[in-house]
Amino acid sequence: MTASAQAVSVSLNEEQRDCYQELTNVAMGQAADRLARLLDVYVVLPIPKVNLIEASDLRMAIQDAETDKAMSAVCQGFIGSGIAGEALLLFNDTSFNDLASLMNYSGELDRYGELELLMDVSSLLIGACIQGIGEQLEIHFNQGHPVVLGQHCKPGDLLKAGNHQWTQTLAIEIHYTIEHVNIDCDLLLLFTEDSVVRLNNKINYLLD
Amino acid sequence: MATNVLICDDSSFARKQMARALPSGWQVDVHFAGDGLEGLDAIRAGKGEVVFLDLTMPNLDGYGVLEAIRREDLPAMVIVVSGDIQPDAQDRVKKLGAMAFIKKPVDAEKARSVLAEYGILTGA
Repeated sequence: MTASAQAVSVSLNEEQRDCYQELTNVAMGQAADRLARLLDVYVVLPIPKVNLIEASDLRMAIQDAETDKAMSAVCQGFIGSGIAGEALLLFNDTSFNDLASLMNYSGELDRYGELELLMDVSSLLIGACIQGIGEQLEIHFNQGHPVVLGQHCKPGDLLKAGNHQWTQTLAIEIHYTIEHVNIDCDLLLLFTEDSVVRLNNKINYLLD
Repeated sequence: MATNVLICDDSSFARKQMARALPSGWQVDVHFAGDGLEGLDAIRAGKGEVVFLDLTMPNLDGYGVLEAIRREDLPAMVIVVSGDIQPDAQDRVKKLGAMAFIKKPVDAEKARSVLAEYGILTGA
């Protein structure tokens, strides 16, 4: 994932955006189903947001969404068929109490307890979403190790920790909430700009 | 006589996928709607004897469409086609009067078997 010396020009037309949205819709439904069965809850599914954004705007996009709330975050890279990206799960810290009780977590809910819950939820949501998108595009994604970007941070600080080497990225944002309890998180899928060209070729085939 | 089939989904890609999955040889007039409100209008106009209905849509979602169909007692056989495959979602739509549930991405064989099961697919 080295930065290209020559800028790759990527674009996204309305038809392609719609297609990414629909592919995400299916994948996030599969992820929500797994979470719903694990926690015995109903996960509210939003319409996912799909945008081409500058890496420098990423911080703003997330700060807009979540203002000053304290968050914990995990990121995990994925790669397959020449398509690479990172999944980023931003978890609202106020969600941990309800999550712990739904998971029947018996230990003390300290930093480490929260970390355990965060890793469980993120591996489930990230894994199911990535594989769900991959299946529909006939790509097998290999996932890297999850990395904790931070606990109890402001979103802006979390993203400083990430070292994004691309300038433009295809960003897919899914805001999950759970009915009747106080749990919400944002899942972001970020594809490198080189990958967007290949992804667009894949979906153009679907759109034919 | 051709059956009036309505495909109601906010994604044009999903509408196309659904239209492609309709059984070949089934005599139909296919109509499209881009959200729940458009869908309801089409059903009121008699264009939705059989409706393939998405759940997550702007303006009026699939649940709202099902409620309105029941409230107005509209003649529509609804098959929900959704990516929301949670057990709760399937229960809710069945309780609201949906005939069947097909998960996305829609599969032509599944569409055919559901239509056949409910006796909608005749002579195809």
